Amino acid sequence: MTVKLVTDTLSDITSDIADELGITVVPVYVRFGEEVYRDRVEITTEDFYRRLVHDAAFPSTTQPTPKDFLDVYNRLAKEADEILVVNLSSKLSGTYQSAMQAKDMFEGECRVEVIDSQLVIMGLGLVVIAVARSIQAGANLDEAADLVRRAVTRSHSVMLLDTLKYLAKGGRIGKATNLLGSLLSFKPILTLKDGEVSPMTRVRSRAAGTDYLFNYVAGFPQIEELAVEHAMTPDEAEALAEHLSSLFPREQIHISTVSPVIGAYVGPQVLSVSVLEADTK
Amino acid sequence: MFSAATSWLEKSSEEIDALNVFPVPDGDTGTNMLLTMRSTMEEAYRAPDHSASGVAQAMAKGALMGARGNSGVILSQIYRGLAQGLQGKESFTATDLANALQQSALVAYKALSNPVEGTMLTVMKDTAAAAQAQVAGGNDDIISILEATVNAAGDSVANTPRLLKVLKDAGVVDAGGQGLYTILEGALRYLRGETELMRLRKPQIIVSELPHTASLPQAVGAEEIPYGYCTEFMLKGEKLEPDDIRKKLEKKGESLIVVGDDSTVRIHIHTIDPGVVVRFATKLGTMHQVSIRNMDEQHQDFLEMQKEKMPTADTAVIAVAAGDGLTDVFGSLGAATVVPGGQTMNPSTKDLLQAVESTFADKVIILPNNKNIVLTAEQVPSLTKKKVEVVPTKTIPQGVVALLSFDYEADFNTNAQIMKKALSSVRSIEVTRAVRSTKVNGLKIKRKQPIGLLDGDLVAVGDINIDVINQVLAKIDLDKAEIVTIYYGADTESAEAEQVGASIREQHPQLQIEVIRGGQPHYSYIISIE
Repeated sequence: MTVKLVTDTLSDITSDIADELGITVVPVYVRFGEEVYRDRVEITTEDFYRRLVHDAAFPSTTQPTPKDFLDVYNRLAKEADEILVVNLSSKLSGTYQSAMQAKDMFEGECRVEVIDSQLVIMGLGLVVIAVARSIQAGANLDEAADLVRRAVTRSHSVMLLDTLKYLAKGGRIGKATNLLGSLLSFKPILTLKDGEVSPMTRVRSRAAGTDYLFNYVAGFPQIEELAVEHAMTPDEAEALAEHLSSLFPREQIHISTVSPVIGAYVGPQVLSVSVLEADTK
Repeated sequence: MFSAATSWLEKSSEEIDALNVFPVPDGDTGTNMLLTMRSTMEEAYRAPDHSASGVAQAMAKGALMGARGNSGVILSQIYRGLAQGLQGKESFTATDLANALQQSALVAYKALSNPVEGTMLTVMKDTAAAAQAQVAGGNDDIISILEATVNAAGDSVANTPRLLKVLKDAGVVDAGGQGLYTILEGALRYLRGETELMRLRKPQIIVSELPHTASLPQAVGAEEIPYGYCTEFMLKGEKLEPDDIRKKLEKKGESLIVVGDDSTVRIHIHTIDPGVVVRFATKLGTMHQVSIRNMDEQHQDFLEMQKEKMPTADTAVIAVAAGDGLTDVFGSLGAATVVPGGQTMNPSTKDLLQAVESTFADKVIILPNNKNIVLTAEQVPSLTKKKVEVVPTKTIPQGVVALLSFDYEADFNTNAQIMKKALSSVRSIEVTRAVRSTKVNGLKIKRKQPIGLLDGDLVAVGDINIDVINQVLAKIDLDKAEIVTIYYGADTESAEAEQVGASIREQHPQLQIEVIRGGQPHYSYIISIE
């Protein structure tokens, strides 16, 4: 039995990891006014953030079409018996619906399973990586799907933002609305709760924020996978990863960039950590 | 042949039908607007021809017949204005559209005896102005004009809390304005061909960046009481005179709207005694679609919704502060209630207890923000069934860092711990005037001289504020500090405060300096060093 794993670009996994673990990554669409690009295929992360800051048009994003997924299913069906699709939270994007619709349209022999992870960024990426490893080790579709469903509750992402400006503009502010309108400046720290952006706390400075991220990771007794992400500040991500090496082997910490789709809402100064807790049960 | 006008109307109607209920944050405005839209579109399909004028007239008629609620009636007047603006037109140009929108705004304003800014009227006016500006700028592309008007509508909605205090107090944007924005946005999205996207997404509620003012719980919308009954109906008769009817009803209640023509008039009024209105109306003609609803019940529902808006419904933070600026600071950072009090005006245990009892949450954290109030606050937990923790903040800066560190994901006890721990991360400077001459800590102090306190200890005296502040700052290791926040008092000039900020910035360029009007009595400056 050959199982193929599919995710979307919001998992933030690097192309190196995707190639190494045989993961197919379907791009979502990024739009600046009339111009539409496929995330990470037709627009680089650097270009995207530069335009986010300088363009008058606020970017919007659109899920992949059902056909995008259908094409992938048809292509993978030639070499696979089973396909597992793990998408970002359906509360943030219609990507999951597209993947589901494509499943309905798919006429091949191959079995397709689509899961709404309720996660995004490396919180999703780490789950995908863990599942890809288990598939490489011989897990079948049911086992892999079961693993995803159990792993999503062990996956946590926390983001330090410089400003709530972009989140408010993009309208994806979720329950973080309460953080708006403060008379004092602060850096919001957000998390993803039940698939939605949710406030965690507030810090007054970037340094206090990075400390918070470090302490957040330190709070987990056992870590299976760890990721640090940034948008335009690779040095800062590198420094945080270095600091985190006292908790988890440095060479196993994934460093990645926050996908434009999320980046549009969190802004170019985002710094984030994602933790996949070890399964101790 | 279909004109651009009809296809726009027909297509947008599908879109509008697809919106189940507008997710607006108050009462039933969304439902009312949706029902009004439904009636509008039903009539549009029955239009005698497909000319822009014909369809717009039909929509205006449908809207008036089906208008529900305050917002629905205003919406119907917007369509009436649109119909007037497009009168006799087979299809329309960009200029026609801009003019018709202008007419909509005019008619909508005229319909109300007492137009209030910060409502959908304002949104309509701003929208129309944006369309006019586009046309004046030489733009003749309907889609891009609509884009500009939708943006203007969005900005206008976000601005409504600035114009209307009840919105500001409640921390919401105007629901009617939001509804109007959603309709316009829906039309635009359809024109752009985003139907697939729209099927999967819900319209977004605009978020205002305006600070929530901290209002005591019972003060939410308090200015609108008594609520009474929302009374609305359609009056049919002969030779009806809407203007006369409006005048007669003006004294009978609030939010009066009277619109229509000599055969059909729609009336909406908030009144304590609907009987009077009904008796008056039955003399003039026959009443239809009569609806009388108790608004106190609606208000209760609204308060329930407010609770759901809180990120953690189970813990409330109550802060003590004096001065409107400081009250706003605590309110904007999420304090549920700010109890007035501070130096020389300590609140009583009863004041604090009352604040605890009247808050929505069963778990309450109190920030006394003054060393003389800590003890008072500590009496509260034994007097109530609610779970109360006092985080013993002795200064305003301590209160602010404690509130900032509130963790939305943590439980009650953990939060109290986190907040207590945060206190050590801040130094507090207070500058006030000596009430008498004395000698303290080796300092010779004359009456009325500015004196400086560091974390409650008197450490500096001088002749001018800035000098005292500099003396205190010299006692702090500023190399480790990152942020200095200056709250200046009620009797302090903002220009002087800015100068203080500038002088600190000059000496310590690495620091981030914020100058905020605290409006506190007695203390010319309260400064937080983090």
